[in-house]
Amino acid sequence: MAHWMKNLKVQPNSTSLEEARKRTFEFFRLACRSIPSIMEIYNLQDVVSPSQLRSTVASQIRKNSHVTNPKVIDMLLFKGMEELKNFVDHAKQRHHIIGQYVVGRKGLVQDLGPKDEGISNFLKNFYNSKYS
Amino acid sequence: MASALRSTILRHIRIPVSQTLTLNGSKLGSGSGAVAFRLFSSHADDHLDKEEVSARVLDVVKSFPKVDPSKVTPDVHFQKDLGLDSLDTVEIVMALEEEFKLEIPDKEADKIDSCALAIEYVYNHPMAG
Repeated sequence: MAHWMKNLKVQPNSTSLEEARKRTFEFFRLACRSIPSIMEIYNLQDVVSPSQLRSTVASQIRKNSHVTNPKVIDMLLFKGMEELKNFVDHAKQRHHIIGQYVVGRKGLVQDLGPKDEGISNFLKNFYNSKYS
Repeated sequence: MASALRSTILRHIRIPVSQTLTLNGSKLGSGSGAVAFRLFSSHADDHLDKEEVSARVLDVVKSFPKVDPSKVTPDVHFQKDLGLDSLDTVEIVMALEEEFKLEIPDKEADKIDSCALAIEYVYNHPMAG
C-alpha cells in the first residue's frame, strides 16, 4: 500500500461531480486498505478496532457530504490524502491518531449509534457538556 | 578415537530391526491414505462452502453500527432495505474484504450492493479465506 503512495501526484481537477464522487470512494478504499498497516505502526490493537477506524474515516467524509463543487471536493481529497500519507509514513505520533480519530470530537464516550446503549445517559451528557 | 568408540557402541547395541520396521510400516500404512487425500484435494479442500460464506457475510453486515441486526437476511439490499447510503455500502464491502482477506477491485466492488451479491462474489472468489 505504502509503496505507491510514495510517488503520489496531484491529480488534474475532476471535470464533474460524478468524477469527484468516484475519487472520493477511491480515497475511502485506499484509506480503509491502509488501516491494518496503520494499526500495526501505531500499536492500536488494544485501543481501537479496524471497523471503528473505518467508521471514523467514513464520518469524516460524510461531514463534507454537502459540498457539491468538484474543485472543493478535490481540495478536501488532497488534504485527506496528505493526512493519510502522514500516518502511513509514520510522520505522526500515536497520540495524534488516538486524539483525532479514536477518542475524537465527542470526547471519551463515543455515541456511534443505537448499539451504544450500555453507557449511562448521565455520563454521556456529562462528557458532552462544556466541562472542559 | 571416534571410530573406535563407534565400533564398540555398535558392537554392544542391538536394535530389534524387525519390530521397528513393522511399526514404521504400520504407521506409514495408516498415514499414507490421509497424505494422498490432502495432496489431491489441496485446492478444493480449503474452499469455503456456501453456508459458511453466507453466515460470515451476514455477521459482518449485522455488526455494522448503523444496521438493525434483525432486518438482515441473505437477500437484503443495502440501500433499499437497510437504509444505508453509498458510502456505507463501500464501508461494508471494505469490512468484507477484511473478513475474507480479499482485495476486491473497484469495478467489482461498485456492483456489490446487496447481501446476495456479496455472498455470491465471495463464494466464487478463489482466494476467499
